Amino acid sequence: MNFLARIQRPLGVVALLGLAYGLWLVFNAPIDFQQGNSVRILYVHVPSAKMALFCYLLLTISSIFYLWKKSETADIIAEAAVPVGAAFTAVTLASGSIWGKPMWGTWWAWDARLTSMLVLLILYFGLMALRSSLDEPGKSAKATAILAIIGAVDLPIIHFSVVWWRTLHQPPSFGGASGTPTITGALLPPLLVMALAFICLGAYMVVVKAREVAARRQLEVLDLERMENND
Amino acid sequence: MLKAAYRIAWKDVVGDLRRSSSLSSMLFFAVAVLVVFQAAFEPDRQSAVKLLPGLLWATVLFTSLMGLGRVFQAEEENGAFEGLLLASVPRGAVFLGKWLGNLLLTLLVQAMILPLTMILFNVDAWHVIHLIFGVLVLGILGLTGLGVLLAAMTQAARSRETLLALLLLPLVAPLLIAGVQATAGVMVVDGHPGPWIKLLLIFDTVYLALAPWGFSWLVEE
Repeated sequence: MNFLARIQRPLGVVALLGLAYGLWLVFNAPIDFQQGNSVRILYVHVPSAKMALFCYLLLTISSIFYLWKKSETADIIAEAAVPVGAAFTAVTLASGSIWGKPMWGTWWAWDARLTSMLVLLILYFGLMALRSSLDEPGKSAKATAILAIIGAVDLPIIHFSVVWWRTLHQPPSFGGASGTPTITGALLPPLLVMALAFICLGAYMVVVKAREVAARRQLEVLDLERMENND
Repeated sequence: MLKAAYRIAWKDVVGDLRRSSSLSSMLFFAVAVLVVFQAAFEPDRQSAVKLLPGLLWATVLFTSLMGLGRVFQAEEENGAFEGLLLASVPRGAVFLGKWLGNLLLTLLVQAMILPLTMILFNVDAWHVIHLIFGVLVLGILGLTGLGVLLAAMTQAARSRETLLALLLLPLVAPLLIAGVQATAGVMVVDGHPGPWIKLLLIFDTVYLALAPWGFSWLVEE
């Protein structure tokens, strides 16, 4: 936890500077000849989609580590990764919708990637709901860790089945909509900077959340002690 | 181990049949759901054939949720779950027993729901009813496997039933897709249920392998 306290501020500063520089690059990048200005939303959309999955990876690793070593720190990281991942997933869906309206003419399409992202969001909410509705701390940590691992196994199956469903069912309605178009050189630097800035931002959010979780747990322990002393 | 599992399953099934609690409520709930679908979609004969796989699987999913909510209820009410865990049988056997009991009850209900759906929606697919039921069995294997684990996970939780639905529904999305497509595939002459049945098998294998493992992690102290 001390380590987290020490890296919190530098991470935040780097994330802020990275985002500022990235956004400056984004607004100076050439516009797409077909998509016009709305192509710029992809510089937010793509990094946050990566972070949504990256948070799940972090959650899975720390869940396995928690079940294996019973490490409290791993559980705190796991608890912190869930709301951050949910936030990035929501940003991904929202930015995708905003981009989709002018580009595809619709806010939402049951395209393979959209569907899997939506399922991921529900899974994140399920993890939060499960943790908060079990009163015994050890039990809720264990149940959430097992659910996270089940989800990690399920997500590829979900993605695979949805892709299959959409491709066997009908040809893609929006040509190239779900595949990232190949990017020309001029668009690459802003995307890279934004991706790095988002990694720092995600790490910063997890650190802040993890410290909050740790503080809350300490508080609960202290509360219990105080009540026992009063008796 | 198998004997212990069989005993637990038998106890659940017999207990349930004697009280006929889950069984009858699941069945009447299914009828209610079918009435809702009829009122909501008002399908004519042709669209009923197209809608049937989806309606059938949605009904299966909702009724299974009801059954799953009760898997550990008897133990929870009587404080007998600890006793079950203290019994000198492997945890895997306890899971296997619970799963088998739920599987049998769910299959029994679905065996009644399937002809009922076809009658109520006027779908003439009686010549492939064994194939449709086969697809249902394949789906229910994995559905109950994952469902019993999630039921164990949420049994001590507040607003248990809502939570169970929230956790189960996204995770079984592949099962639902594969089940609906496979059912539609066996209903028409030139259908291709093959790949979807493979997907159902993959799902079953993964969850029936994962669930006992998760259960023994969950209940160890």
